[in-house]
Amino acid sequence: MAFDMTMALFRPALKYAMEKNGHGKTLGLKMTEINRGEINLVFPYKEEVIGNPLTGVIHGGVIVSLLDTACGSAAMTVLTTPAVAPTMDLRLDYMHPAEPNKPIYVEAKVYRQTSNVIFCRGLAWQEDKENPIAHCVANFMKVDSTSINFSAIAVTQLRRLMPWGKSADSAKEEGK
Amino acid sequence: MSQDETGHQLEDWQESVAAARLEKSPQSVMEMIPYADFIGAQVKIENDQLLYWLDKRPTNIGNPSLPALHGGVIGGFLELSAAIEVIYNLDIAAVPKVVDFSLDYLRAGRYKTVYAKCNVLRQGKKLINVTASAWQDDENTPIATARCHFLI
Repeated sequence: MAFDMTMALFRPALKYAMEKNGHGKTLGLKMTEINRGEINLVFPYKEEVIGNPLTGVIHGGVIVSLLDTACGSAAMTVLTTPAVAPTMDLRLDYMHPAEPNKPIYVEAKVYRQTSNVIFCRGLAWQEDKENPIAHCVANFMKVDSTSINFSAIAVTQLRRLMPWGKSADSAKEEGK
Repeated sequence: MSQDETGHQLEDWQESVAAARLEKSPQSVMEMIPYADFIGAQVKIENDQLLYWLDKRPTNIGNPSLPALHGGVIGGFLELSAAIEVIYNLDIAAVPKVVDFSLDYLRAGRYKTVYAKCNVLRQGKKLINVTASAWQDDENTPIATARCHFLI
């Protein structure tokens, strides 16, 4: 495979954005592979995300987050022009409950894209990929980023960095 | 875990749910599920209906530059709400098992409180169909809608 300069630059940026920020960081997911149109990630078992206290099985919402992150990131890797790819919809089938105390592996692939839509498939499994815990399809819109007001975003971001900024309370929360 | 132990736990679970219903406190059911605390989901009774909400917190952010809520958190919140709706409102013995979940994102989730309401459309002997809708400013302009099937 030829050296892909864009991917070489994009890979660490995406990894940082997904692993070190917000909900990705809270979940503790790790992106293990980032290629054009394909993402792999792993999630270690956590007691905090249990959905069924009787069995210790994690909540389905975690699987939604993992697959949404993986599919969304896979969609981002196929964008060639400055654009963003918000999720249109996501459909998840749970084949069987995730076993407690075992990591969950997730793979997402872009299987088709048109001028407006990116179609993704995702799979989550534990020990055997042939016996997945969940499968999903997710579609993303291609939205041209020329229509996005980047200066407004920059201002918001700057404000968040300033201690006297509007969201000083959220900075406090982050610190605790 | 032994069969006996699981049976015991199930009895405890059923007792706790029954107590929560008696006290009209769906929040007690919510607190039995660790994932609810992980994302910060809460619930109360409003006009005889369960109203779920999720206060803003930095750990639920998806896109840090906007900042926007994580799509997965909105999905997880709706799936959790649908499960609580089933556990609290319907008389079923065990924890319902989710079979499939479908989610439509209608608008970006901004960094502020999200509300949700659920609706049980059908309760069969084996299958329950629940819809959930999430909004921020106005109930009539939802940011996401979901549909969930539970097996009992």
